[in-house]
This record gives sequence, C-alpha cells and structure tokens, in this order.
Amino acid sequence: MAPLLELNHVTKRFGQVVVARDVSFTIEDGAAVGIVGPNGAGKTTLFGVMSGDLRADSGQVRLAGRDVTRLDAAERTRLGIGRTYQVPRPFSGMTVFENLLVAAQQGGERRGAASHSLAASALERARLSERANLRAGQLGLLDRKRLELARALATRPRVLLLDEVAGGLTEPEVREVVGIVRETLAEGVAVVWIEHVVRALLASVERLMCLADGAVIGDGEPREVLSSAAVREVYLGSEAAFEAAS
Amino acid sequence: MTALAPPKVPDLAPAPAPEVRRSSYPSAWLAGGSLGAVVLLALMPEIISQGGLVVLLNFFILLTMATMWNLLAGYAGMVSIGQQAFVGLGGYSVVVLAVNGLNPLASIPLAAVIPALVALPISYLVFRLRGGYFAIATWVVADTAELVISSVTALGGGTGHPVPGLGSLSPRTFGDVTYWLSLGVAVLALAVTYGLLRSRLGLVLAAVRDDEVGARSAGARVMQARRIVFVVAALGCGAAGALLAVSQLQVQPGSIFSVQWAAEMIFVTMIGGMGTIEGPILGTVLFFVLQQNLASQGAWYLVILGSVAVVVAIWAPKGIWGFVSSRLKFQLFPVGYLLGGRGSTGRRR
Ligand SMILES: Nc1ncnc2c1ncn2[C@@H]1O[C@H](COP(=O)(O)OP(=O)(O)OP(=O)(O)O)[C@@H](O)[C@H]1O
Ligand SMILES: [Mg+2]
Repeated sequence: MAPLLELNHVTKRFGQVVVARDVSFTIEDGAAVGIVGPNGAGKTTLFGVMSGDLRADSGQVRLAGRDVTRLDAAERTRLGIGRTYQVPRPFSGMTVFENLLVAAQQGGERRGAASHSLAASALERARLSERANLRAGQLGLLDRKRLELARALATRPRVLLLDEVAGGLTEPEVREVVGIVRETLAEGVAVVWIEHVVRALLASVERLMCLADGAVIGDGEPREVLSSAAVREVYLGSEAAFEAAS
Repeated sequence: MTALAPPKVPDLAPAPAPEVRRSSYPSAWLAGGSLGAVVLLALMPEIISQGGLVVLLNFFILLTMATMWNLLAGYAGMVSIGQQAFVGLGGYSVVVLAVNGLNPLASIPLAAVIPALVALPISYLVFRLRGGYFAIATWVVADTAELVISSVTALGGGTGHPVPGLGSLSPRTFGDVTYWLSLGVAVLALAVTYGLLRSRLGLVLAAVRDDEVGARSAGARVMQARRIVFVVAALGCGAAGALLAVSQLQVQPGSIFSVQWAAEMIFVTMIGGMGTIEGPILGTVLFFVLQQNLASQGAWYLVILGSVAVVVAIWAPKGIWGFVSSRLKFQLFPVGYLLGGRGSTGRRR
C-alpha cells in the first residue's frame, strides 16, 4: 500500500534563496514523527508545501498514493491533511465554537448536528470546553495554541501537521499538549510535529527528522538522530537539544 | 473528489450532539417587530399618496442594491464599483421579455435571473484580480455592458426603449402593484442575505474575513463562496434594475447603467454600517431623509451629503449601526452560534 504522505524531490525557493533542496521522505499511516532544526532551516516552509499553502517549484506531494501537488489547501484539508500554524491564525471575531464549526463543516465535511458534535469533540479534546462561547480574539497564548490544534482536529485529518504548538508554553502546559497529541495518535491519526521543545517530541514520537538549510540531515530513532555527528554539528552552541536528549 | 482517497478517520470521540442555540429572545421580539413593519408597509397604498408611494418604491430599489453591495463588500470582501452592470442588464431583460410578449410585471423574476447567469462567466474574469484591480475590472465590465447594449439598434441604441405591455393598467393599480413588487424584492433581498449569513456559507465568509489563509486551511472553498455571493448580488441588482425599468416605463442606457447606482449603494452602506444587515437599511433611510428635505437646495444638498460621509468616516468608521450596536451590545439579526451548557456566554455575532 502507498504511504500516507509522500514528498518526492521537493524544491522550494523564495527568490534566489533555496528553502527546500530536493527533499524526499514518506510518512506512514498512524506514524508519530518529530521535526527539529535550527531557525530558518525550512521546517515551516515544508509544512506549507505539504498543506498546499505553498507551491513547490518542483517535486511532488502524494497523499495515500494520490498526487495532490496541484490541489489547493482547502482540497487537501478535505482529503485529510490538517495543519496548525506557528503563529496562530484564529478567526478572531468568531467564538471558539464557531471557529471549530467552520472546520467541521468545511474540512470535516459534516453538516447540521453532525458538525456540531464533531466541533464539540474537538473542543473537548483540546480542553477548550470552558471557552466555547468566548471570542477567539480574547484568548491567551495557551488557548490560541489549543484552538489551532482543535481546529485542525475538527477537519478530521488523517495526518496532522503541528507547527510548534508547544512553543512558548510552560512546563505543565507542554505536558498537556503532549497529552492531546498522544490521544490523537491513539486514534490512528498520523502526526508530524515541528518543535524546538525537544522534551515534548521525545515523549511523543518514534521517529525524528532533522532539517538544516533546506535538507534532511538526520532521520530515524530520535535519540540516535540527536546524537549523530551531523545533527550535533548543526546545533553546535545551542544547548537545548542535548540537555533534553541526554 | 474523495473517490481515490480511502475514508477519513472517524470523528474524534463519539460525542452526543451538543445543544446549540442560534438566536436570542430580544431578537425574536424584534423579528416580530420587522414582520409588523413589513405588514404596515404593505398597507401604505391605503395610507399615503401615489407620489409618496413612488418615493418609497425608489427607497426599496436602493435598499435592495445596497443590501447586495453590503453582501459583496461587507461580507465577502469584494469591493465592486460595477454593480450597475447587473442593474442595467436586469432593466433591459424586462424590455426584451416584454417585447416578446411577456407581462413586464410577471417577468421581473426571470429578468433578475438573466444578469445572474451573466455574472457567472464574468466572475471567472474579474476574480483573477484582487482589491483595487477587482474594483476597476467591475467598472470596466459595467461600461462594456453599457456600450454593447447601446449599440443594439433593436433596443433603441443610445436613446433607450420603452417597456411595452403596461398600458392596460389604471395608474392607481400600476402604482400600487409596482410599489408592492419593490417592497417584496427588498424584503426578499434582506431575507436571502440573512439566510445566507446564517448558513454554512455565512460562517465561511466570516472566517475568511478574519483570516483567509486560516479559512482555506480549515477546508473552506473561498473562491466558490465568493462566486456564490457574486451571483446572488447580480440577481438582487438585476431585480432592482427590472423594477426601475417597470416603474419608469422605459430604459435608457446612460441612466440605468450609470455609475451613480454604484455610488449610491456604496454611500448608503458605508454610512449605515458595512458588514451588518441593519447598516444598509439605516443608511438608505438617512439618504432618503436628506434627499427629500434638501434636494431643492441644489449644491447645498451635495455639500451636506459629503459632510455626512466625512463625519461618519472619521467618527464612526463602522457606520452608524456599527457605532450604535457596539455601545448597546445588541443585534437585530444575530447569526452566531451558542454552545449550550458550557462556560461563559461570550459576545454574540
Ligand atoms: N514567504 C516568504 N518569503 C521569503 N522568504 C521566506 C518566506 N517564508 C520563509 N522565508 C525564508 O525561508 C527560510 C525558511 O523559513 P521557515 O519559516 O521555513 O523556517 P523554520 O525552519 O520554520 O524556522 P523557525 O524555526 O524559525 O520557525 C527563512 O530564511 C525565511 O526567512
Ligand atoms: Mg517555522
């Protein structure tokens, strides 16, 4: 069977700057994959190419064997690629519940009462029940991150792309996000998680990729990847990755 | 679309359907109030003079146009300055249908559908452009439509064409019937707009207004939503144009395709409050009050109209209704959802 998500020789440039260099990898159904890499490595850009927010200059994106390279973000979401944004993008004028309802009705393709219960279960999964009728613009950082997650979940993804959902959160808040991710994984949803908080990744993923300068320089068992020479080289001078790995 | 892909993962946890409320009591009372207002307006032919009816008829025509422009620009972010294209096509459709033997009064629905059909291919053209370029493109479309129509000699060319088939009605009956039709079209325009905004499409439009990238990522088909709105707005403006043609017993390309219509719908919507259903109603009322009382003042009328626009733009950028409703925290036409049994009751939309 074809892998769930597949990148074939993807290259992406912004003007003269190459941000993804001939990147290829696959994500299996139900997999838990972490992505690390220094700032500007091209992690978010790669998510954009996968989700359809960005067009690759060359290469291919496949979902369950189907070529989705030319499909836009909305169609890819409907086919099962859900994503969150590093800087949350709430619908600020709408309530939290309405934010989720849009995702349930559009990405999740559910109508009427079915869309209400889909939105409500995403709400509960992300521990946002108390905030249901609050305007999204009034939420604090933790709740905005939760809302990002919940909105992606409400589209019924088969693969969930998380872009630093634990960034800027306190230790107990990070643990809570890890809990949400684990529950999602337990349901069979594949998760690809970009995170600088390596502790959070190590608690959730079974495979780690390291990106540097637009290329994959490490891919495999998380602790092995973190201790490999190439990755150590990239992180030279930055303690974060290693304090957690050791 | 999903034929190739295996089925999605089922819903997260099997949750019971939650209790979701759509409306609130004060608004239910006011909905009753609006119904009363419509009934009262329907009785107007018994109360006021034929001259008064004509003023109200023109009020409803402008209200219809403004409501459509508000849907386009206020809710779907498409600032069109070319809606007169569809006003004109609606008017000329009445003529064409009447020449072919259809009763002009009965032809209004069909005459409104024709501009909507024309709007569909046009959307593929103008949707390639955004913002100011989109606005200019719509104006070009309107000018092109006027040029094309006024070159058709069978339609009277530049001098226009009378609407045949209305001679048999007494002036009184004609006045009453055209008045009721205009009231009906305006009420329908408001009802359709409200219905759209409360539908899934309305939720998509609200999401796109807040964050278009986020909306796409939530699965919203943004282009499709805009296209539906564009076609509906053409339908409404077409109906307004059809009413203009019938009530004036003739069409003339220079006036029915005039950019004046766009200017008026924009003025009225901005003054009243863009992106609210109430706004265009309030704006049209204000516009007619000013016009009825000051039109004889000549240049002063325009000065006052301009001053009102400037004052509102500076002190109430969300229009008069935006100014009022943000202070009263209250809406006549709520479109939001309230999840029952949970947390605080945030602000309603
Ligand atoms: N829209 C854009 N236009 C031009 N350059 C861009 C654009 N988006 C990203 N870049 C550049 O591409 C490079 C990769 O950016 P990207 O956001 O993918 O990095 P990242 O790995 O996610 O970094 P971070 O860890 O800081 O989030 C950076 O140098 C960035 O400045
Ligand atoms: Mg990033």
